[in-house]
Amino acid sequence: MGSSSSRMDHIPNAEQLMQETGFSAAHILRLYARFEFLDKDERGELRPEDFGALRGLAMNPIGDRIIGAFFSRGKETVDFPSFVRVLANFRPTETNTIRDGGQSFSRTRKLKFAFKLYDQDRDGKISREELLQVLRSMLEQQVTEEQLQSIAERAIQEADLDQDDAISFEEFKKSLERVNIDEKMSSHFLR
Amino acid sequence: MAELGPARSWRTGFFVCVWLLLFLSVSSGSRDVSGGNETSGEPARDTPEDPHHQTNSTAHKKAFPVLSFNYHDVRKPFVISLWILLALLMKLGFHVIPNISNVVPESCLLIGVGLLVGGIIKAIGEDAPVLDTKLFFHYLLPPIILDAGYFLPIRTFMENMGTILVFAVVGTLWNAFFIGGMIFAVCQIEGVQLASVDLLSCLLFGTIVSAVDPVAVLAVFEEIHINELLHILVFGESLLNDAVTVVLYHLFEEFSHAGTVTVVDGVLGVICFFVVSLGGVMVGAIYGILGAFTSRFTTHTRVIEPLFVFLYSYMAYLSAEVFHLSGIMSLIACGVVMRPYVEANVSHKSYTTIKYFLKMWSSVSETLIFIFLGVSTVAGPHAWNWTFVISTVLLCLVSRVLGVIGLTYIINKFRIVKLTKKDQFIVAYGGLRGAIAFSLGFLLTDKERKNMFLTAIITVIFFTVFVQGMTIRPLVELLAVKRKKESKPSINEEIHTQFLDHLLTGIEDICGHYGHHHWKDKLNRFNKTYVKKWLIAGERSTEPQLISFYNKMEMKQAMMLVESGSAAKLPSILSSVSMQNIQQRGSGNRRAIPSISKSREQEIRKILRSNLQKTRQRLRSYSRHDLMLDPFEDNVSEVRFRKQRVEMERRMSHYLTVPANRQETPSVRKVCFEPEHQVFTYDNSESPRGPRARPDPGPLDAVSLLSESQGPNKSREQKAKVPEEQEEQDQLKLSRCLSDPGPNQEEDIS
Repeated sequence: MGSSSSRMDHIPNAEQLMQETGFSAAHILRLYARFEFLDKDERGELRPEDFGALRGLAMNPIGDRIIGAFFSRGKETVDFPSFVRVLANFRPTETNTIRDGGQSFSRTRKLKFAFKLYDQDRDGKISREELLQVLRSMLEQQVTEEQLQSIAERAIQEADLDQDDAISFEEFKKSLERVNIDEKMSSHFLR
Repeated sequence: MAELGPARSWRTGFFVCVWLLLFLSVSSGSRDVSGGNETSGEPARDTPEDPHHQTNSTAHKKAFPVLSFNYHDVRKPFVISLWILLALLMKLGFHVIPNISNVVPESCLLIGVGLLVGGIIKAIGEDAPVLDTKLFFHYLLPPIILDAGYFLPIRTFMENMGTILVFAVVGTLWNAFFIGGMIFAVCQIEGVQLASVDLLSCLLFGTIVSAVDPVAVLAVFEEIHINELLHILVFGESLLNDAVTVVLYHLFEEFSHAGTVTVVDGVLGVICFFVVSLGGVMVGAIYGILGAFTSRFTTHTRVIEPLFVFLYSYMAYLSAEVFHLSGIMSLIACGVVMRPYVEANVSHKSYTTIKYFLKMWSSVSETLIFIFLGVSTVAGPHAWNWTFVISTVLLCLVSRVLGVIGLTYIINKFRIVKLTKKDQFIVAYGGLRGAIAFSLGFLLTDKERKNMFLTAIITVIFFTVFVQGMTIRPLVELLAVKRKKESKPSINEEIHTQFLDHLLTGIEDICGHYGHHHWKDKLNRFNKTYVKKWLIAGERSTEPQLISFYNKMEMKQAMMLVESGSAAKLPSILSSVSMQNIQQRGSGNRRAIPSISKSREQEIRKILRSNLQKTRQRLRSYSRHDLMLDPFEDNVSEVRFRKQRVEMERRMSHYLTVPANRQETPSVRKVCFEPEHQVFTYDNSESPRGPRARPDPGPLDAVSLLSESQGPNKSREQKAKVPEEQEEQDQLKLSRCLSDPGPNQEEDIS
């Protein structure tokens, strides 16, 4: 007990983080250990190269987007609180304790995070070009441009309800209404 | 009343028919059974008769028999066919009567019919055919399981695998021991005359009665359409508990002969369980891979493709049974492993054939099983013992409820999406027993106890199927359990789901945690780089999943359009076409449709009907040995065809973004450019030369026609035009493009 509390002192604003994100002390410790592992140069903050060292992430089709999501606009580094905040999006929600309002709130939060990954230019909509980029990275050059175009076209047609040729957050949410986002976007590890 | 008249007379005629058939089957069945004794006598009798005939014929020439009666030779297949026909007519009958099928599930009705038939047979005084264990396990059960396994929703199944396994293994063990133990305790009570039943027999009985039955679950859950999670939980449990049941059954059977149990036996039992289940899965997987590999080479013999699927699966089942492994798990594993590769390899027609044959066989099997269950109930020797039977039923219920609650409490600690009280109730209530329990009971050898056990088993089965089966539907509605959502395949969902999968895999990598997603990703990668190359033929081996999904979706939509066209209802075509891709403009659509005048509508309808029917007729002529050169299957044109389809789709989709008040005309035109239509274009002028698919000139020309007359910019201009004039033009173009499919004529229009 003594050792863990002293280690908690290393972590700045631990209490506040716990409050904000809902992680337990044990979790914060674990995440801090991971943070230190990734932070090879012991700078106290992470840079894109640190993420890129992870082999799995390098092979991931949308790896660079995920890495990008950790860095808020304009910043070059990620400190520990931001790291934790981003990961807090993937906490499983306790459906039994939160009433309906709470549930949909967490669902919306998760979806918003995913939406941001699509919408790189942060204009609040997924344009056709952005969708094409995503498709291109996911399909890994095995398809022709024609096919990509038609899939993107079809996707936008299906989802675009207000005819502005782009997918807004509401439309994005609607097209995923059948998917159980709480389950799909949660990791056990971060309970 | 006048309306009801003809309907009623049809119905009564139908039922008269059915009852006649019933009597016929019963009497021939009885003749069969009684004739069985005589078969040995007959040939012996025949031979002495022959010389008689000879001598007789030489003595006085017998007139040549114009009509003779020889029932004897065809008796067996005749009776079998008659039974199956009867079963299916019954099934048909239930849907003719309007209200019954809403209240009573089909399984109950079929058991009822079985009871009736059994009663009639008994009344006649003959022996009824019983649900022979071999017949059940070798012929009736496999189709149902294969059907279930082949169409198992893999994603949901894998996501809930842990929960399903816990319910199947631990739950069944709990049920078996609890029921067995408590029944033994009940038997020990003074004054019940059951003291002679020993512990091992009770445990054996507990095992048989505790297994949730996939057939019954399928039959009931199929009709109530609950959400996928609950369905897969109960159904998955019923499938996977087979391994536990097999092991426990053989274990207790051995022990009850041996008499004593040691710890070593217990350990061996546990090992046996792992061997049985994993061995079964492995056997199934091996046959599945073989089947997938075989399907890679069937491009030139499309006709026999479905047979490979069926035979490999059946062999998997039988091979597992040879080694006393779990045949059900083997069958499921085979279907699951085979399916993605086979579907990538076989033609569309074979896919449809496989689907329909599986559904057909499983339907027949299910019907027969329930009817035979009813017949066997009436026929079988019974030993009714009030205490035993009532306590069995009660204990089954109690143990099921306790088991589900206890296990859910533990499981919920590990699940992300917890199981609510409602879910638990449905899972507990859905634990139906069925014919497997009955057949296993039949295998028991202990004579007097066997009858008592059988009676108890049958009572439990009847109770669960009738009481629980009938009440589950109102209960589901009462509790407002989430129902199955109508699923239209959505490309968005597919894209986003894959995206989220990648996202979560990435997050897990960052956290350094090798979870669920990580392994799934690894498996997918392995599948893509190695397995697909071996098992899928041609260029489809490198096709990403998203593309195949997209192609499948497009094809389905195209087929649906052609089929809906044959109904020749114009508004439905329009609404289906426009509803497909243009979602919330429905209200605008519906307002627009009635504006076509009646006569025009008739004309359009006639044109569509005649043209689409022509397509159908052309498709029908084929020879048995070679499949018509279907552009969907011809590898050479397939690549080209796909490319064109993609291009066409792209252009078509431009027109679907046209604003609301121009709805009907572009959609009507869309029908003209359906891939189906273009593909099966056998030019009238060239038909003497034989059917030949000519996909290439067709679509491009047609598309160019459209692009010339109506680019997206132009559409906005044309809004200003007078609607009548527009309609007339479109009408003309439509009639031309539909009735003159050949490329030559299209030049006129452009």
